[in-house]
Amino acid sequence: MIDLFKQCVTMSIPLVLIALAGFFSERGGVINIGLEGKTLLACFFSVAFSSKFGPIPGLALTIVATSLVSLIHWLLTQVYRMDHIISGMAINLLAAGATSFFKFKFAADGLEDAAVPPKMLLYALGIVAPAAIWWMSNKTRFGLQHRSAGSDPDKARLLGINPQNIRFSALIGTGVLCALAGSLLIAETPQFTDGMTSGRGYIALAALILGGWRPVNAALACLLFGAASALQIQYNGQYIPSEAWKSLPYLVTLFAIAGFLGRNRTPAGLGKP
Amino acid sequence: MNLAVEMSQISKRYGDVQALDSVSLRVEKGTIHALVGENGAGKTTLMKALYGAMSADSGSVSINGEPVTLKTSREAIAKGIGMVSQHYGIIGELTNLENLILGAENGSILTPVQNQQRAQDLAERMGFQFDWNAESSTLSPAGGQKLEILKLLWRNSQIMILDEPTAMLSPQDSDALYASLKQLAQQGTTIIVVTHRLPEVFEHCKRVTVVRGGRHIADHEVTEVSANQLAEEIVGGSVIERPTPVSNSQPTDSLEVRDLEVKGDKGQIAVKSISFALKKGQLVGIAGVDGNGQRELFHAIIGHAKPLSGILTVEGSDWTQTSIADRIIAGLRVIPEDRHHEGVIEDWSLFENASLGLQRLPEFSDISAGQQELGPTMAEKFSTKHGGLNQPMSSLSGGNQQRFVAGRALQVAPNLILAFQPARGLDLNSTTKVYQEIRRRCDEGATAIIVSFDLDELLDFCDRILVMNHGEMFEPKPEEARDRAAIGRLMVGAG
Repeated sequence: MIDLFKQCVTMSIPLVLIALAGFFSERGGVINIGLEGKTLLACFFSVAFSSKFGPIPGLALTIVATSLVSLIHWLLTQVYRMDHIISGMAINLLAAGATSFFKFKFAADGLEDAAVPPKMLLYALGIVAPAAIWWMSNKTRFGLQHRSAGSDPDKARLLGINPQNIRFSALIGTGVLCALAGSLLIAETPQFTDGMTSGRGYIALAALILGGWRPVNAALACLLFGAASALQIQYNGQYIPSEAWKSLPYLVTLFAIAGFLGRNRTPAGLGKP
Repeated sequence: MNLAVEMSQISKRYGDVQALDSVSLRVEKGTIHALVGENGAGKTTLMKALYGAMSADSGSVSINGEPVTLKTSREAIAKGIGMVSQHYGIIGELTNLENLILGAENGSILTPVQNQQRAQDLAERMGFQFDWNAESSTLSPAGGQKLEILKLLWRNSQIMILDEPTAMLSPQDSDALYASLKQLAQQGTTIIVVTHRLPEVFEHCKRVTVVRGGRHIADHEVTEVSANQLAEEIVGGSVIERPTPVSNSQPTDSLEVRDLEVKGDKGQIAVKSISFALKKGQLVGIAGVDGNGQRELFHAIIGHAKPLSGILTVEGSDWTQTSIADRIIAGLRVIPEDRHHEGVIEDWSLFENASLGLQRLPEFSDISAGQQELGPTMAEKFSTKHGGLNQPMSSLSGGNQQRFVAGRALQVAPNLILAFQPARGLDLNSTTKVYQEIRRRCDEGATAIIVSFDLDELLDFCDRILVMNHGEMFEPKPEEARDRAAIGRLMVGAG
């Protein structure tokens, strides 16, 4: 039972961080299908920088590098007005290809113990993040303007708000949280493998949608998905065929999105310039 | 004269259309100044230039005697200029309080308790009431207008631009609004009101500026000009003679509604067991103050709202369960209340919009041929000003969009015409033309139902007037059928 609980936390917290990364960009109006790629790149950066500079500088550099990647997304969607989905997919493909190509250059056998990112710090951040971001979104000027940019950028502009600037900050937020998520995945499994995020970016996006683009609800949805994954790991091969267990988290996602969504809370300005 | 605003020689061109041609505007500090003109005359464009929402091709602006450049709304707001646009600037997903403070927060961390206190004070000063934590998507248009005005007060605007502020307000609300505006003007606020309603100009404004076709026509002290002269300057010629409404109704029944009940969006019973029957050829006006069930009745006849109970028949056939598509095929034509959300797709061209909603009719069996053939006539019907039918609908001004939507509704074999505030955003001349066309269709055997909050408009054009009050339908006694006061009493439930 304790194992199951631990497993549930281990599976959920990275999802929470990624979903909140998605919150930053999507609630501000940038569709972010690129969470998967950003997190995968963050895993790679984490291995590369931690092996060279140690855990804390490695984490800091990972945050900087992932934020820069996220800002490429800002540049493509806000300055060059590229389609949000296509640019997100481009980041995913770029991430998959580039990490696979470069992975043997750095710590191919995995990180030394001394270089592993600070696991407990990252879990702690993952636990306080939903509340902190809820507070940011509902109780600060940035949060309000951020939501207005995601709801109706044209009206926001008439009120003297610059949605492009807001989204610049928002996408840095996305980068930081993806960096934390990637570092956490590396802290648990200190070796980079191809596609090691294994669809977490998409599941987190589903959790964000299920949570109605609200940070705490999205985090709860992540817990649900995390619990399904934990059950799968814990009982794989027992009672029902292992394929059925493997598909459990995805089935939960599917049912959750299809069945219990209720009122559509999609930010009205999602994808608008 | 102490000038708060001085705009000189402002010009702006959109594609082929010269929207403004060296227009000047001088507004005295601490007064209510009216800016009048037809639709597409350039009033809104001129105001956008003042608010920094549009940059003019040439010209200069001075605020309180000091030359300024207003390239963005932020710069204009910093100069104390505030604008309530015709298309509401309220974001439905935020709460009323959040909308109020958005863009003018008093610190990087919000202080909801203090904010709500100040908001409440401002609202009480104006005599408005709000549920601050409700989502703004639940506001009525009048509520939205009120919130917009509070937003300007929140920003301590010294120069307020109000674009058609009373368009969606009941007469009482309009009077209350102007009373508050006068109070603000006395305290030194300068108010520019863009309007079509001349009675408002004469009752409440000090000076008036007329623009027509993108040009400055005249400036007057309101006390020194007559309504006739002003009307002539606005339309630039004689006003079309208003016909006295003559009913050509036939003995055949058209729409019949029996014991209809419809739920409103807040769960209330908005339409309470209404019954009425219309004859073919009638042009019927439904009078009433906004929010008395007209909207829900309208939606039920369109088929957009499902009635709780009751029966709807048209020429003997039961429409209660009929789909919207089948109603349109049977001749239902709609000029909706909100053309933005219910009438057009702004990203689509005028050609594409021409077939919108009518795509199942035989005229559009070859969709692009139908668009090419009928699009131009729809646009010409009420002289929609546009830069080519292949341009997106968003390139048209609000009034021109309305003209196009009205032209579309009346083009192809209408049988039952539903129009909600068809004159919204239209000048007198176009309004008359729209009603004349509706009348012509009625003479051909169609039936029309017009919902309007402007009783005079209904009296001018409709041959029968019904009144809605609190979800119930009333009909004035035959001897009082054209009696403005009697109808007014029914509207407020004093009949």
